[in-house]
Amino acid sequence: MSGPQALVIGGGPAGVSAAVALARAGIDVTLCEQGPRLGGAIHRQPDDQTQSVRVPRAHKQRWQALSDELAASTVKVLCRHMFAGIEATGAVLLEDRNTGRLVTRRPAALVLAMGAIERVAPVPGWHLPGVVSAGGLQVMMKSTGRAPSGAVLIAGSGPLLVALAAQMASLGNAPVAVLERSPRLMSLRVIASLLRTPAYLREAAGYVGTLVRAGCLPQRGAFVTAIVPKDGRLSVSVRDRGGRERQLLVDRVALHDGLLPNSNGTAAHPNGPFLVRAGDCREVLGGAAALADGRLAAQAVLAHLGKRGSDSTGAELAMARERQAQAALNTLFDYSGRDPTELPDDTIICRCEGRTLGQLRAMLDSRDPVSAREIKLNGRFGMGACQGRFCAEWVAAFVASQHADGSPPQSSEIVGSRWPVKPVPISAFVTLPPSHPSE
Amino acid sequence: MLRFTPVSFVSTLSAGVLHSDRTSSFRVGDMLHPQGNSPRSSRSVAIVGAGIVGMSAAHFLSRAGWQVTVYDAGVVASGATGSADGAVSVASKKPGPLMTLAVAAVKFYEQLIAEGVLVDEYLPRSTFVVASDDEELSVLERHAGELEAASVPIRMLRGTALTEVIGAAAPTAIAAAEVQREGHAVGYRVVERLRRLGGFAIRRNCRVSGFTSSNGHITGVITECGTEQADAVLLATGIGSMHFLAESDLIRPRKGQLIVTDRAGADSPHFPGPLMSCRYLVSKGSQPANSAAASRSLGLVIDPLRTGQFLIGGSREDRDDRETADGDIVAALLRDAVALSPSLARLRVIRVFSGLRAATRDGMPIVGRVGGADNLWIATGFEGDGICLGPLMGRLCQQMICGEPPDQDISALDATRFRLTLAAAA
Repeated sequence: MSGPQALVIGGGPAGVSAAVALARAGIDVTLCEQGPRLGGAIHRQPDDQTQSVRVPRAHKQRWQALSDELAASTVKVLCRHMFAGIEATGAVLLEDRNTGRLVTRRPAALVLAMGAIERVAPVPGWHLPGVVSAGGLQVMMKSTGRAPSGAVLIAGSGPLLVALAAQMASLGNAPVAVLERSPRLMSLRVIASLLRTPAYLREAAGYVGTLVRAGCLPQRGAFVTAIVPKDGRLSVSVRDRGGRERQLLVDRVALHDGLLPNSNGTAAHPNGPFLVRAGDCREVLGGAAALADGRLAAQAVLAHLGKRGSDSTGAELAMARERQAQAALNTLFDYSGRDPTELPDDTIICRCEGRTLGQLRAMLDSRDPVSAREIKLNGRFGMGACQGRFCAEWVAAFVASQHADGSPPQSSEIVGSRWPVKPVPISAFVTLPPSHPSE
Repeated sequence: MLRFTPVSFVSTLSAGVLHSDRTSSFRVGDMLHPQGNSPRSSRSVAIVGAGIVGMSAAHFLSRAGWQVTVYDAGVVASGATGSADGAVSVASKKPGPLMTLAVAAVKFYEQLIAEGVLVDEYLPRSTFVVASDDEELSVLERHAGELEAASVPIRMLRGTALTEVIGAAAPTAIAAAEVQREGHAVGYRVVERLRRLGGFAIRRNCRVSGFTSSNGHITGVITECGTEQADAVLLATGIGSMHFLAESDLIRPRKGQLIVTDRAGADSPHFPGPLMSCRYLVSKGSQPANSAAASRSLGLVIDPLRTGQFLIGGSREDRDDRETADGDIVAALLRDAVALSPSLARLRVIRVFSGLRAATRDGMPIVGRVGGADNLWIATGFEGDGICLGPLMGRLCQQMICGEPPDQDISALDATRFRLTLAAAA
């Protein structure tokens, strides 16, 4: 047998960076990516390779360099392999989507680099067909190489709104409006904080330039209050900074309220491999930080295996720089969403099971404060296909807003840590060979 | 562990003999949020464990006029009640006292529906015990005879009737017994309903560590949140009950793993009720907790839920790692499920979970008085039958504690068969 094996999950910059660094140190590395090719959310390119989506030059150069290193390495790449979780005996479950089979692996180390999940704050009508997440729309656009058709409204908060709007404009269909909840404007102070990472300033300037030419600058301090279907389209109520309401009739609404680490199913298991998270999966700092964090994850694995790695000083400096840049950028955004106490009772909270805020309110009892587990089981919040990945935070936040005393629930109590991390076809289990764990 | 704190006072109340006629005149409307209404002079009972047995006992004791406090080291339904399959079923019981009690327990669910206590929390339906080969068929025929002898309504399905009723769901079945007049109740929902009816207090995250006592009489419970007075105590904490008893190793954890699928599409075959493979009869209850052989066994039940999802289970394993399910067991269950019902292969697993049943040394529950104190009762060891038996056992516990003659003969469950005594109190 060869030496210790490492399994890296996620073919974005953090995963590829970790895999390359581990392979360079002589580790037998397998890199799994659930999609058809590497790149992650940031470097995704159209399935039809004659198409392409314009990306900032810095991104392109970074990815090209990393891809070259990967090509020259001994890393085994498995695309269309989805991480399904770590089961009770510590085996890593992978769904091989090429063969439709579930397979198990028992690596010495596991690096999870599954990126971020997108937050969308609940708003009445967000469950309607035609309402998508901005990240989801961007994935669609990057996969097809075409802008989404029809009148599109982008709303919420975060740098993604501007990036998506500019990419749409470049592909010939600028959004009808971009609503940024935060009223704060780019200040000299923020610019000063970003001077050490000028790529962000160049990227932002590029997007803004495109949007100026398209006549579609973001409206700051504006947000969506409700979405209702109207004549086969979507009528969106928008409140501006001055408190004025107006209606927009559009075909699609793209919502986005920031990113969170994709931490579901990423807890270490006592019987499982040594586990490290890397990139946005650990801390949302973006693509440049992901490269450095992948190297740091590899370093942690090597230290665990008693192997020498390369000097990671540069990676740590890069992380510090990126963390400072993200902190400065975040002052420009407002990810809080609407105050849940202002939302009407019929607002859907759990989109998988169609459970409403009113049903959640009805579960709360001032004399007998129910636990997160009771809310989950009896209210069916977090019990659907997503297992709470997208609603647990909002359920917990709402319950917390209603709890005058006592400890509010944590979203982790609603999500839990069960496998499978994502739904897996029963047919994939049928061929799983029995294991013989040493006991 | 267990502590007994010397107390300077002796309760002036003697242990719980209290007759009450309030249960007969009960109306649900009276019970909605009556907290604080019960007279201060009433007897108090501390119930340890907020599972289906403890919460049912709390409901009936509060109806009988007691001041009830339920303590749980976790939250409501955080043990086996919250991870059970919800079968209210006689179909898998062995002949004897448990089969008789299960028949009574199913009728008791029907009574609670009629009284308005468990509205919408009980779905009456048949269970289909399925044989796929000749060996299973002989097991099926013998078992169907035993159920009929216990007056359980049975319809044997063969030939055309078999094809019409379960042919789409289980095309390879060669025969099936339709066990009629059974049902499904989700354990945590039953408990939530009882909680909402109110009438008693719940202390969550409040572990009971011991009791205060005087002259063989318990006067209160010592908890993480302080010591509270009680005139009677009921232990209903499943495996946790053992912490309070001198006899160790009497109850062992028996792990079960269950699988939840996504919703079946409109084109999926019709399931008339849960399908139980005959192999389940071989697995279930056939090994006492102390047998070294076959520490893991599988039974197969494919249960069509009201949501359109399926619950597929389960294993019986002599181990206590309830945190997670393992790939081998889940894959083995799903292989069996697809062999019986091939259309399931199109669905997806959205979650797997496991729970721990409390299995006694002789496979029978323990319900009765505990030695070492004159006002301490226990109800535990229901293994896989807690949801089925829970409400009835709550009622019987109330009758025991009130000194009323029980509706059912539970002498076979009596705690004296193990000479149970309170730990460190003898």
